[in-house]
Amino acid sequence: MEILLTRYLYILILLPIFIGILVYFVPKKFGIVLCIIAQVIHAGYSVMVFISSKSNPLLIALGGWNAPVGIELFADNLSAVMVLLVSFLFLILLLFNIHRHYVNNLFLMLFLIFEGLMCAIFLCDDLFTIFVMVEVSTIVVSLLIMSKRDSRSMYDGMIYLLVNIFSMTFFLFGLAMLYKQTGTFSLRLLKTIMSDVTNVKALYLPYSFILTSVCLKAALMPLFSWLPKAHGTPGAPSVVSATLSGLYVKGGIYLYLRITNAFYIIDTQDFFLVCGIITAFVGFALAIAQSDIKLILAYHTVSQLGLIMMALNMGSEVAYWGGVYHILSHALFKTVLFLAAGMMIEEYKTRNIHEMHGVFKRMPWVSGAAICAILGITGAPFFNGSISKYLISHGSNNLLFDIILIIITLGTLISFVKFLKVFTGNGKRAKVPKLRSIIIVLLGGMCLLGGLMGADIIEILFGYSAHVNASEYTLKAGIFIVSVIASYFIYFKLLKGKSFLSKIRDFDIGINGIALSIVIFFAVLTGYLYII
Amino acid sequence: MNYSIGEITAIIIFFIGVYGVIARRNIIKTVMSLGIMEAAVILFFLANGAIGAERAPISAAGISADPIPHALMITAIVIGVGVTAVALTMFISLYHRYGTTNWTKAQKARKEH
Repeated sequence: MEILLTRYLYILILLPIFIGILVYFVPKKFGIVLCIIAQVIHAGYSVMVFISSKSNPLLIALGGWNAPVGIELFADNLSAVMVLLVSFLFLILLLFNIHRHYVNNLFLMLFLIFEGLMCAIFLCDDLFTIFVMVEVSTIVVSLLIMSKRDSRSMYDGMIYLLVNIFSMTFFLFGLAMLYKQTGTFSLRLLKTIMSDVTNVKALYLPYSFILTSVCLKAALMPLFSWLPKAHGTPGAPSVVSATLSGLYVKGGIYLYLRITNAFYIIDTQDFFLVCGIITAFVGFALAIAQSDIKLILAYHTVSQLGLIMMALNMGSEVAYWGGVYHILSHALFKTVLFLAAGMMIEEYKTRNIHEMHGVFKRMPWVSGAAICAILGITGAPFFNGSISKYLISHGSNNLLFDIILIIITLGTLISFVKFLKVFTGNGKRAKVPKLRSIIIVLLGGMCLLGGLMGADIIEILFGYSAHVNASEYTLKAGIFIVSVIASYFIYFKLLKGKSFLSKIRDFDIGINGIALSIVIFFAVLTGYLYII
Repeated sequence: MNYSIGEITAIIIFFIGVYGVIARRNIIKTVMSLGIMEAAVILFFLANGAIGAERAPISAAGISADPIPHALMITAIVIGVGVTAVALTMFISLYHRYGTTNWTKAQKARKEH
């Protein structure tokens, strides 16, 4: 059984890609059935890989060539969980979307290829293969962003493509320098080589080249301006926004984890800790200023990514697992929120949040799920966000970080106050397809489940036993309720209708500005490495 | 770190490309600058693959150069061609919508739509 799994690990990558290409040539109805069958097989297979990777990591050398020459696939616990997440969310999103008009053969093909590439990013052990996968997925994503052919998304897709290609060229240049120093691209081998490295300074330049582009993928502070354009563009269907925001940016975080793990002799934790905190603050500040429902959610992704980055770099094991759990929680609630936002936009024919009223009366099930997700993202007690935020603040064990976390929660709450307003008011019951209601309620329920059984889920997935102290958790719940009240007053008394908000909203830098910020980030990181 | 002459040239060309992306407002020139950056990376790879007077990796006699950079750069070139093609195709349809080759004007046009 184990041998069988190890030998055919590449099925997880190739199955969606081949089925996607096949679907392009068959009639649409048959194609959808084919897609769903393939997805079910994919999900089942990823469960099996997850189970067997728990005891020991799977490693396969493609074509029988081992690491320095050939390409290896590597599935340890973390990557197996990520693949599992990708597989299940894609199955659910495909079911969610089957009756839409824009779902044609081309869309299905791109969507499935995107899934295969994402699995490849999580499973490959070789940095050059990762480069190829990221580059190809950039093209696929920019085509998916434009799939509704809205005239605004032309510009957004173009910016997305060129900015990401620009940063991936940095990645490739870093790889060239790395190859000169070490002679390998395999992350597994790099880690073993590191202990013999005598001249650490020679690795600084490749390290900062590689990490600059990984941080762009993970949307850290100066490098996030492409993300709201790509994730919040009017041209992208809500499922595409959900996969980008819930899953694809996690690829950046995952690569960050893998690469810093391999380069363990270079210590940049403090730098990225500060970057994470700034990203979290800037993200919610920009989210407060927006009135476009999709842009609010996109800026929240930035803020939550900052929070995850902060947790991963605190240097504490508890906070680290809190951060990893937050990756999964964020994928869940962001998917629900984007799907709900997509349905609201279809219902009201507008993206302005101030023009939506009475959503609860019109779509009760969808609203219920969306409220679950909002409670999850703000870290309300009993929802999944609260467990990860508890672990992060417990692990930090520092008053300063506690205050920072409370400010982040407060900021997230302030921006969701206006989001909650859409649920009140009257309206008549709208027609929502049953399948869509079931799926969105299921996902919303998982947010609640992830909070109630958080510690057990972490134990099952990662084999790490996290303890939730009841009295400390209650204290956090009390702080949460106080911040809810505070956020309500801050929004309505201080912020509502102020002119500086619209100034922040209009803030937009073009491609020249983004490229400049990438170079500045690179220069600062290199300078930091050489000076400290 | 010791760099050979080919590698130093590659670094200079790379940053010329970076300058192009930062400073030029023309969309075509941005695509061209990306092409320049990619050419620089390829040069760097090949320069550190062949330092002395080795033979081409394909010949059997004598010491051959490291074949891995060559193999990888073929992949990188193919990807570069694909990316450039997609970028130019997107540019054509962007031009049809907005009627401009200038980033700033395209940004303005996007806001008005």
